[in-house]
Amino acid sequence: MNVAQQFANGIIIGHAYALVAVGWTLLLGAARLVNFGHGQMYMMGAFVAWWLMSATGLPYAAAVPLAVLVGALLGALMQRLFLRLTLSQDLVNLMIATLGFGQILQGAAGLAFGAKPERLTSPLQAITLGGARVSCSAQDVLLVGATIVVFLGLHWVLRRSRFGAAVRMVAEDPPLAALYGLRVAPVYLAIFAFEGAAVAFAATLVAPRTPILTSIGFEQVVMTFVVVVLGGIGSVGGSYVAGLLLGLYTAFFSALVSPAYTTASVFALLIVVMVVRPGKLAASGGFAR
Amino acid sequence: MSGRLEIRDLRVAYDRAIAVSVDHLGVAPGTLATVIGANGAGKSTLINAIANWSRAAPRLSGAITVDGEDFSRVSACDRARRGVVLVPEGRGVFMGLTVEENLRAGVGAARGAGGRAYALAEIYDLFPRLYERRRNVGAALSGGERQMLAIARALRMAPRLLLLDEPSIGLAPRLVALLLATIRTLVDGGLTVLLVEQNVVAALEVTDVLYLLERGRLIAGGTVAAMRDDPRIIASYLGGGHG
Ligand SMILES: Nc1ncnc2c1ncn2[C@@H]1O[C@H](COP(=O)(O)OP(=O)(O)O)[C@@H](O)[C@H]1O
Ligand SMILES: [Mg+2]
Repeated sequence: MNVAQQFANGIIIGHAYALVAVGWTLLLGAARLVNFGHGQMYMMGAFVAWWLMSATGLPYAAAVPLAVLVGALLGALMQRLFLRLTLSQDLVNLMIATLGFGQILQGAAGLAFGAKPERLTSPLQAITLGGARVSCSAQDVLLVGATIVVFLGLHWVLRRSRFGAAVRMVAEDPPLAALYGLRVAPVYLAIFAFEGAAVAFAATLVAPRTPILTSIGFEQVVMTFVVVVLGGIGSVGGSYVAGLLLGLYTAFFSALVSPAYTTASVFALLIVVMVVRPGKLAASGGFAR
Repeated sequence: MSGRLEIRDLRVAYDRAIAVSVDHLGVAPGTLATVIGANGAGKSTLINAIANWSRAAPRLSGAITVDGEDFSRVSACDRARRGVVLVPEGRGVFMGLTVEENLRAGVGAARGAGGRAYALAEIYDLFPRLYERRRNVGAALSGGERQMLAIARALRMAPRLLLLDEPSIGLAPRLVALLLATIRTLVDGGLTVLLVEQNVVAALEVTDVLYLLERGRLIAGGTVAAMRDDPRIIASYLGGGHG
């Protein structure tokens, strides 16, 4: 086994996990809400970018922001649809409703984009960097860099901006926020839009690594769930670290044991962690760290 | 001066039980009115209803006007933005925000609220302790500091009418006197305040008008001078009734 190469792979996959999960982390940490349509929104991000490029001939660099915009709109639409559930924090029904929303997305995508595997091609995927021992693509470097920028940016917004303070207020105590004259609904809308935009952005950066199918959502929502839980339910910094560790774990597990059992072993890991330290899993208001 | 409050036929009910039933309550601009009553009398229910705010979901009916404007259908958030600012009982500041963030959080809403918005520097003059603690989060503050912060952030929102629900709760007697004296200073500066208190002895020192609430009903009301000699007040709150 080439340890250095597996280490590099782990870091790259880890950043992919973290970037895919960042929107859900904020959703859970700030709004105490879940979105089980997350994986299908990832799939939509990848397919919208693919469709824009293949049907209209747009370059990758233009397809990415447009797919992010569609993702943001999907997130906002979702929040409008489930407004009442959102404001009343009805988690069980929201879980079912978002699961249904995801299935509708997947069905619609199947109709619109077909059942064949497709390839979202980034010009950076073909550029190989590094030497004989360790190499990666320029797309991988972009992915890692963009993930770091997104996490630092989110951290800055939450800690330093007025809007970030509003998000933290909504996270801590929505009724009290009303007494401060803060309108809660637009903050929720922005959080959902960010969730949709972030997962679509992640999809456009990660999807060029492998062929895409309209059924790829499930694996993504599974990994996001693991990252969010390991990271401490809604902790932004925790999710970054958890994504990275999970990436290293899957890279080495695939190399040492078998790629076929990676997902199963991730779940085993998740269960062990939940049993061993259940009390530590809640972010308890410190999500913005 | 502004902040004239008029309440008519206010009824507040949790589930089926009516918790507050007040036919008339008024607060004149630039005065401090205090509602006193025992635990469970309905003080919080009443003052929350004036802000159209609750952590539960009570049913409200009745008419509320502020400076002649009908506020009956205005949401809690809009009442705060329009200068009817409540400092609730218990959790009144954000634990995860620093003192300064708490003080800045509500200020955008102050435009058009109708009262005087206190600048940050004025707040720190009024509460020097908050200046020392400005980088600490709410969770790190003592009970007294939190209560000061809760009132301070309300002042930042340019209140016409400041609603205070038991600000003295859990504070040492010396702090209670200091806090009430500060509130009195604000009223002397033109602010209109409705205060809810169980600490009657301390409240009597600073209040203009006193209301007595029992089982959700106002059973007496008047100037402090008149109410001080009211047998019901003496018997229930001033340690009378023994002799
Ligand atoms: N959330 C609630 N649900 C049901 N009843 C309540 C609720 N809050 C208060 N009450 C009832 O309303 C009455 C008045 O309570 P409250 O306004 O809190 O009194 P006070 O502030 O004077 O102590 C009490 O009988 C109390 O039991
Ligand atoms: Mg009370």
